[in-house]
Amino acid sequence: MNPHPSSCSNGRSIRTRFARRFLRALKKIGSKGSSSRPSPRDISWRCRRVKIAADASMASAVGPRRVWSRTMLNMLRSRSHACLHASRLGNSRRPGADRHAVGKRKRLVLKRKLPNRLGLNQVNQLRRLVPGGEAMDLDILLDETAHYIKCLATQVKVMRSIVDYCSA
Amino acid sequence: MRPSSREMEEMDAIAAAGCLNASSRQISSSFHEQQENSEIPPFETPSHDDFLEQMLSVIPNCSHWPDLTSNPEIPVDAVHYPFDDSPLLSASKLRQHQINGADDSSVASKSFLLQQQLLLSGGVAGGGDSGLLPFPSSLASGDSVDTRLPVDRSQLDGGDGSVQALYNGFAGSVNENGQTANHQHFQAGTMPAQNYGAPATAALMNHTQGSASTGGSGPAPQRQRVRARRGQATDPHSIAERLRRERIAERMKALQELVPNANKTDKSSMLDEIIDYVKFLQLQVKVLSMSRLGGAAAVAPLVADISSEGGGVGRSSDGGQPTAAAASNENLIVTEHHVAKLMEEDMGSAMQYLQGKGLCLMPICRSTAANHHRHSPTSNGGISSNPRMASEGEGHASPNLSHLAVPSACVTDGAGGPDAAAMDAASASKP
Repeated sequence: MNPHPSSCSNGRSIRTRFARRFLRALKKIGSKGSSSRPSPRDISWRCRRVKIAADASMASAVGPRRVWSRTMLNMLRSRSHACLHASRLGNSRRPGADRHAVGKRKRLVLKRKLPNRLGLNQVNQLRRLVPGGEAMDLDILLDETAHYIKCLATQVKVMRSIVDYCSA
Repeated sequence: MRPSSREMEEMDAIAAAGCLNASSRQISSSFHEQQENSEIPPFETPSHDDFLEQMLSVIPNCSHWPDLTSNPEIPVDAVHYPFDDSPLLSASKLRQHQINGADDSSVASKSFLLQQQLLLSGGVAGGGDSGLLPFPSSLASGDSVDTRLPVDRSQLDGGDGSVQALYNGFAGSVNENGQTANHQHFQAGTMPAQNYGAPATAALMNHTQGSASTGGSGPAPQRQRVRARRGQATDPHSIAERLRRERIAERMKALQELVPNANKTDKSSMLDEIIDYVKFLQLQVKVLSMSRLGGAAAVAPLVADISSEGGGVGRSSDGGQPTAAAASNENLIVTEHHVAKLMEEDMGSAMQYLQGKGLCLMPICRSTAANHHRHSPTSNGGISSNPRMASEGEGHASPNLSHLAVPSACVTDGAGGPDAAAMDAASASKP
């Protein structure tokens, strides 16, 4: 599955930039101590690293033009700093940061059950989903959401094509 | 405006003639009010629209208008017949303009046409001319008028002239100063007040064209007799609100194209779709990042069965991608527990999203488990259903996703049953 040149040029440039960065990050992750039998913890750690790499390469490919990409970059940077500090204290801390984010998502899913009135609940949900969406007007939020969806779709396409390529 | 009061009396006479009855009396009372309160901003939209509607609702009664011809006082007679052609002409023009859909300019042109007819009616209502002319513009500025005028005119045969007279009666009381928020119309209105006849129409034309370009720029400097278009206030705040709402609406439309299954017209359901789709994409990224961890790792004891299952599913969904088995193996490498947990937490939203897409869940008892997966985080049922759900997602769930998910489900269950169930799911959800 190759990236189709028929797609909009904007998507393609973002796509190629993202693909390049992501592959570079993957190489780095892959080169880190591949033991013969990675423990489940190692595997999960690598999972997270890959996801972080995907997000980071996407955000950096988009650049600081967009609010959500800026927010994501800041978040990742602060998280990496926190992880570094945590790693100094002890390895056990590392999954904690991500678990926190994961837990947040769980709360988000639970809240979904509440009845939606006036769409305010949904707008808040959307704010939480899109990075940096907390402090945005609704119309800007919708704009950012559109771009975020586009980039996410690109990300998924690229990653899928990489998987296919690697598995083939 | 004194002539306007005379118009009022004439109109009252008309009403008394039996056509207008209650509605006209309401209208006349509202006129009185408006005459008194020439400067009060509450004039703005609601009262105008109300009386406009009242007045326009009267128009279909014009089958009664011929009754009025008996009344010598009423200038309607003189107005009646000469205009049989022109009203219809103008009506067709009006309709045309309306169809063209240009807002301000069409309204201006409508006002122009109305004015034209009124001018044609000439000295029908004696000294009421000054009161006459500004009125149609005020009428025309309401969108309700725009929609109704052509229709009503279509109903009228010879009654247009009488309608004109009715308008004439209204004109003076309604628009004393000729000042409105839609300044174009009213400035156009006041102009002909001074010039009668062709020059007036020409001036009106020029004026409306000139002001049409500036139309919609904002509220008029004078707030008296503010006649806004129907449904639109003239307050700067509300105009800003309107702009904001329009921007939001167009962004929502843009989002509709991005998000699949966006045939919802309801805004809140559209938002739901968007939210679900974002969650789904984020989940996909997560799952794909898990699948990326290929390489040497422990191979689950069930690999043999699962790879065949995964291959089967992959084939059914992809039409024979050879990567199915490999990808499933890759996925097997990842900790089942970790996968289950992650998927389980995020899969809820993905499941809801995919469910909204018309996917049928597997006809296994897992359907209930799927709903309760949250409080059974490690239960086999909950975990197995969710990945399979995602695996059978149609448009978006990628084939890779499907054969990533299925093996994990099988692995977690660790029994032969779920494999068969997976097969069922695969076949069941293929529409």
